Amino acid sequence: MTIDWWTLGLQTVNAAILIWLLARFLFRPVSKIIEKRQALAHADLDAAEAAKAAAEAERAAAEAERAEISASRAALLDAAQADAGRETERLMQQAQAGIAEERRRAEAALARAEAERRRALDAQAGQLAADIAERLLRRLPDAALTAGFIDGLVAAVAELPAPVRDRLGSDGPVPVRAARMLLPEERATLEARLAETLGRTLPLEISEDPDLIAGLELDATNAIVRNHFRADLARITAELTRHD
Amino acid sequence: MQSPLEHVTLFHIGPVPIAEPVVVTWLIMAGLGAFAFLATRKLSILPSKTQTVLELFVTVLDDQIRDTMRRDPAPFRPLIGTLLLFVLIANWSSLIPGIEPPTAHIETDAALAVWVFVATIVFGISGRGLKGYLETFVEPSWVMMPLNLIEQITRTFSLIIRLFGNVMSGVFVVGIVLSLAGLFVPIPLMALELLTGAVQAYIFAILATVFIGAAAGESEEIPLTAKESD
Repeated sequence: MTIDWWTLGLQTVNAAILIWLLARFLFRPVSKIIEKRQALAHADLDAAEAAKAAAEAERAAAEAERAEISASRAALLDAAQADAGRETERLMQQAQAGIAEERRRAEAALARAEAERRRALDAQAGQLAADIAERLLRRLPDAALTAGFIDGLVAAVAELPAPVRDRLGSDGPVPVRAARMLLPEERATLEARLAETLGRTLPLEISEDPDLIAGLELDATNAIVRNHFRADLARITAELTRHD
Repeated sequence: MQSPLEHVTLFHIGPVPIAEPVVVTWLIMAGLGAFAFLATRKLSILPSKTQTVLELFVTVLDDQIRDTMRRDPAPFRPLIGTLLLFVLIANWSSLIPGIEPPTAHIETDAALAVWVFVATIVFGISGRGLKGYLETFVEPSWVMMPLNLIEQITRTFSLIIRLFGNVMSGVFVVGIVLSLAGLFVPIPLMALELLTGAVQAYIFAILATVFIGAAAGESEEIPLTAKESD
């Protein structure tokens, strides 16, 4: 085996030429296009990063705005709730005041109605009592309708003020109404007693009035002296009504 | 059968005899040059299928150089890539009837190894400086200097002999079987030669990378690959 030095030299040159050829036409263009694509990819990535950062910033801004809106909404809601609470309280107080007023009025009306009812009942009771008394007294004998009342009438006239007593009968006969017509002896007794009390004779005009039930009534122009059951019942009824 | 150890001069250019391996090398150079020129004429950002294959090849080559040398692969890419492509195609050229692979001749392997040897020195000096490169011969001590110097020669010879022996023996075996057995019998052996040729091309290129990388030393700033940068 021998070495062909010409061939060795030529192959050495050939190898150098081939290295240059492939470097010039294969490796350099391909590596350049790879680097160019990488540069573009990096640029795209940088742009994407920038866009992402911008989007993040916008998102943060939107979040802040949303938080601000939420806070504002919460504040508005709180204010509205406070207003509603105050309005509710005012309306409640107003309603309670109205209810209290209505209740007071109702109670007053009820009290008035109750008083009216009681007055009506008292009046009815008084009337009933008067009717009962009248019915009972009408069963008395006729003598009892005037007997005993003459003294009372004379005593009442005696209690009149002196000027009033003095003027009695100055205008003519004094009207006297009796539950039944007085008998002559009863009339004489009445006139005698009055003359004794007044110190002078008093002319009388006696008439019958069954409404008096029992008793007498002196009806002068300046004074009225009642001594009969009708007046007593009326006074009792009035007293009952007044005390109630 | 013709022995690969014999030199067949096809013609002369002046006083220079042109042997068959030289002519086959020219053909391979023409084919590779034409392919490179045509394939890289219209490179674009959106790659075609051919461009994709080329970019894949360059990317894998760069990754291999980067992983082995721990340096930027750009300065070494033309030499290592050319060695890989040429040795691979030269080895596989035996599939063409009548063609004997140039790498089956020791002159071709020696020429390739010479450039690896020169690149080792050039990249060693550029990477470490002249003083730094020379200091690598006395590491770990002066006593080792003779062995380091011999290693420079012997590993270059090992490159030559490994490639030459493997390819030449394959050609021999296929030739002997063909002469003894018949036309189709060597086909399995030729398929095996395909594998052997690819493996030998890879071994030659990776050993060249290791030798140059060891001479140049590791870079402080290791460029990241696209995958790592993600």
